[in-house]
Amino acid sequence: MSDNVYLRLIAVFAPLSLLSLGGGQSIVADIHLQAVDVHHWVTQAEFVDLFAVSRAAPGPGALLTTLVGWKAAGFLGATIASLALFIPSSLLAYAVALLWMRHREHPWRQPAEHGLAPVATGLILAGAFAILRAASASWSIWIIAAAALFIFMKRPKLNPLLVLFAAGLLNVLFHFSS
Amino acid sequence: MSTPREFANTTPEGRPAGVVSCGQIALLFARVGLTSFGGGLSAWIYREVVTDRGWLSEEEFLGALALCQILPGPNVINLSIYIGHRLRGARGSVTAAGALLVPPMILIVTLATVLHRATELVWVHHFLEGLAAAAIGMTMSVGIRTARASISVHRWSLLLIAAVFLAVGVLRWPLVPVTLVTGAAGLWMAWRGRRER
Repeated sequence: MSDNVYLRLIAVFAPLSLLSLGGGQSIVADIHLQAVDVHHWVTQAEFVDLFAVSRAAPGPGALLTTLVGWKAAGFLGATIASLALFIPSSLLAYAVALLWMRHREHPWRQPAEHGLAPVATGLILAGAFAILRAASASWSIWIIAAAALFIFMKRPKLNPLLVLFAAGLLNVLFHFSS
Repeated sequence: MSTPREFANTTPEGRPAGVVSCGQIALLFARVGLTSFGGGLSAWIYREVVTDRGWLSEEEFLGALALCQILPGPNVINLSIYIGHRLRGARGSVTAAGALLVPPMILIVTLATVLHRATELVWVHHFLEGLAAAAIGMTMSVGIRTARASISVHRWSLLLIAAVFLAVGVLRWPLVPVTLVTGAAGLWMAWRGRRER
């Protein structure tokens, strides 16, 4: 394989783009293998750090790729790795979006939306549950999640940042008082 | 083919009549990208685009979201490409995906230089954990809201929602085959229901 680090970043991340079925989580293991064991862009400890940061920071979880690219080859590396990961799948999504929108008036269209809605809904709920289970066994997490659920059900248009910030402070207080 | 932006006027339930500008799209997605702590970005986008602004109907959003889950690539990026295109054509897609990605990219590289030490501080860790917990609550509320709407159209939706939740959330089966099978089941049921009506 080429010695050029930029080409290697593209060679690693562009194929992963089209393999990342079902969102970014499915390729984390492979990113780890390539970045740590194959190309030595980051050490094992660094990778764990980067993963934690990509989970804690806002934005798509796939930004782990940006961080790996940045560690491998600075700012340009971050840009190239990100583009390699996002562009192939985005082009495909664009083509599908075009097709889907072209058939707005098709007699299949409304049943299709009604039929897919429960699947999307189930996935939203499953996603929340998966994060909850991964987050912590701590009781305060469950209480805060339940309280936030209650608040957002009652006031769907409330600014979520306000609630999130309060929840963060509350969790700090919980832990210092117990 | 008609231009997508005409559709911005045609969503049901008396939606904003004005045309959505690329600036508005950029602001919205940049905000979602920078504030969506705790993951579950599709719930954040749902809140902004469907609940707050009514740019898309709930049905259309959920149909597009299910499609985006099946396609490779981060779902939220795919979703932003769909929504951008729906509101403003090709430029809308590029604007939405770019605004969703670039600001958090800059932020995360900055954070990585600072935060990996900060997450070792106990209170920072607890603070982020609290944020994530509230974000889970918000995602749940969006899920319950869309579940109610979906069940009010077809009773059998509840069965499908429960099946997907059990398979992916509890049993941790791989997402793509589950989505394909349940999606096919949903399409079949919805098509039958339509003919019987």
